[in-house]
Amino acid sequence: MAIKTKAGPKKIEISINGKAATVVEGTYLLNAVMDAGYNVPTLCHHKDLTPDGTCRLCLCEVEVNGKKKLVTACNYPVRDQIKVATTTDEIKKHRKNLAEMYLGRWPNVEVIQNIARLCGATDAEKYKSELTDENPKACILCGHCVRACNSFMIQDILGFAGRGIKRHLTMPFGDVDPHCVGCTSCSYVCPTGAIQITDDMNNPVDPELIRSHGMKVNAEMANLDALQNRMREVGTANIVEVMDAYDLLPVHNFKFGKHPDTHKIDSKVMKSKYFTQGAADACWLGCSMACAKAVDDFELKTGPYKGQKVVVDGPEYETAAGGSNMGGFDLDFIVEYNFYCDTYGIDTISFATTMAFVMEAFEAGIITEEYTGGKILNFGAMKETLECLHEMARGDGFGVEVGQGVRRLKEKWVKELGADPGFLQDIGMEVKGLEFSEYVSKESLAQQAGYAMAIKGPQHDEAWLIFIDMVNNQIPSFKDKAEALYYFPLFRIWFGLLGLCKIVWNDVAPADNSKYPPQEAAKIPDHVENYWKFFEGMTGIPVDEDKMLLQAERVFNLQRLMSYYLGYGTRKDDLPPLRAIGPATVEEYLSREERYDRQMKEDMGIDPEARTVEEKLSITRDYRYQQYNKVLDAAYKRRGWDENGIPTVERLKQIGIDIPEVMALLEKPEQ
Amino acid sequence: MIVVNNKEKIEWYEGMTVQDVLDKMGYVFPLITVSVNKQLVHKEDYATYEVPDNANINVFHLAHGG
Ligand code: SF4
Ligand code: SF4
Ligand code: FES
Repeated sequence: MAIKTKAGPKKIEISINGKAATVVEGTYLLNAVMDAGYNVPTLCHHKDLTPDGTCRLCLCEVEVNGKKKLVTACNYPVRDQIKVATTTDEIKKHRKNLAEMYLGRWPNVEVIQNIARLCGATDAEKYKSELTDENPKACILCGHCVRACNSFMIQDILGFAGRGIKRHLTMPFGDVDPHCVGCTSCSYVCPTGAIQITDDMNNPVDPELIRSHGMKVNAEMANLDALQNRMREVGTANIVEVMDAYDLLPVHNFKFGKHPDTHKIDSKVMKSKYFTQGAADACWLGCSMACAKAVDDFELKTGPYKGQKVVVDGPEYETAAGGSNMGGFDLDFIVEYNFYCDTYGIDTISFATTMAFVMEAFEAGIITEEYTGGKILNFGAMKETLECLHEMARGDGFGVEVGQGVRRLKEKWVKELGADPGFLQDIGMEVKGLEFSEYVSKESLAQQAGYAMAIKGPQHDEAWLIFIDMVNNQIPSFKDKAEALYYFPLFRIWFGLLGLCKIVWNDVAPADNSKYPPQEAAKIPDHVENYWKFFEGMTGIPVDEDKMLLQAERVFNLQRLMSYYLGYGTRKDDLPPLRAIGPATVEEYLSREERYDRQMKEDMGIDPEARTVEEKLSITRDYRYQQYNKVLDAAYKRRGWDENGIPTVERLKQIGIDIPEVMALLEKPEQ
Repeated sequence: MIVVNNKEKIEWYEGMTVQDVLDKMGYVFPLITVSVNKQLVHKEDYATYEVPDNANINVFHLAHGG
């Protein structure tokens, strides 16, 4: 199916000082002029901040349809085939005059002196007055700090007060604002040093190093995010519709990857009807990404707080996708289950994935209305789902049973109801007792392993490899996949250990990330470096890829050994249910018959013609488990683990954790 | 016939642009990099850059995932 993606902006031919140039529509004239190699003096302009055209030094002449006018280049977006002159006599005169005025007022500020030199202004006396400030670090009213506070931090702590010559910088009501998060962005962008940082609370070894990298992230958020993942606008929910488009959004207990009703729960609806904009419930004050969203004044329809208006933190992508997984394509429902899960202390992912499993079991006749206490639990049974949730919290009714999670339900229903263990194993989306998070991994071998091998169970916070594997086809061989299953979990564990968030790693990307070849680009090297520099800035210890991997590998192996000790760390614990690696039912096979038939022909060399669906299903199952086991073999080998997935003594020695306490874990597993 | 990401084959037609390929593939994710026969194509050129027959097109999606 063809989906209309957004076409990029068009290009415009312009002339600058008589020379032809091509610019993308909407480019600010100043950037176009600089790119063409001309130097224009600026004062209020800053490359990472929205221009506001106040200093008027960047004045250029623009000719549109034969009419000439003067414009401030920094905030003039090119939309027509214009002719530009950057230095006419009139402009020169104007700039010189302005520069003299600035020099008269702030004679000792270095940036002003530079501008004066550039504009040929030498007379500091001409505009000398009682306003003249001899301080070399005087505030020159450029507005960088005000705009940085606003666009980097989404705060308005700083502002200007007074008009004309009385204009001055201030905090609201002239006081120190308690909402200032101390991010130091304002100080960083200040060209004169007028704003000084007096406190480095965590005593980092090198605050400048940390700041310079942090500011890069701030600038990317301010300038690129709106064109990229829109994290500020809608947070992680931006990918609901993206996942649907790529057949990756879990629907009906991961049977399918898309649904015609997804548009009812996508980020557009969340934004227009639910999220309270501008009041992002950031995880921590001072994060320039501020991706967490909140819904204000949401009136609850069920449960102990029925009828009350509440604030709901979310929904995040996973919670919304949990909705589609249960067949609940209704944001009122999603926000309500989101609220009650948070309130009861229940994880939305485990809840939704368990509930989806219960629904499938109900539709398959394994459990009945009688068994569920009268609840008809087909996919999409939203009211009943909320009842289960309330029961779970109260500790009565069928909800208590749902609260056991997928693994225990499988065991219980086999034992007590005589259910088919094979079927429940195939459709029960858990590994190591933890429910899957909300992505369809069926067509990405690397992600299947990323999920099932994850130490805590199938969470994707060790590795999310679906795009690079399934869509980009970047890691085609088992060796490539194993390498990705080595690097990414270690990188993620490493910054997790530092207590850092992953969102600023890959939910915004430097504009020039494509300068790296794809294998490297996938790591987003400039952002990995940000994390390294943060570490170095805090501790004074430089770190590079090898050092990072070693630090992480020590912890990773220790975790695996602890998991082994507790009975969850061998090959059998890394095996996913069939549903995670391919079609598990006839219905599912038929829903993508063309794809599966083609794979049978092309990948397995088996002719699907004249075979029953059941036969094809079973051939596909065998093939996919074979493939999965090969990935596992390759990944174990790369990690230095034996065939059973246990870290080898040799590897423990190599990474320097062969100490007695660790070795003891190897000896006495608590099976 | 053109090949996308060394895997998917799609029919080529006269005047087919990069944007047409993205539409056909349903590639809606914003963080992508496109190259046609190893030549990088910028976003502003997607709608006008014509893809030659038998082209190898690479649409690199940056990893996502919470
Ligand atoms: S430190 Fe940050 S929050 Fe405080 S005024 Fe400066 S930019 Fe605004
Ligand atoms: S404090 Fe610095 S950044 Fe802010 S207006 Fe004054 S000179 Fe500009
Ligand atoms: S740089 Fe100040 S008005 Fe353009």
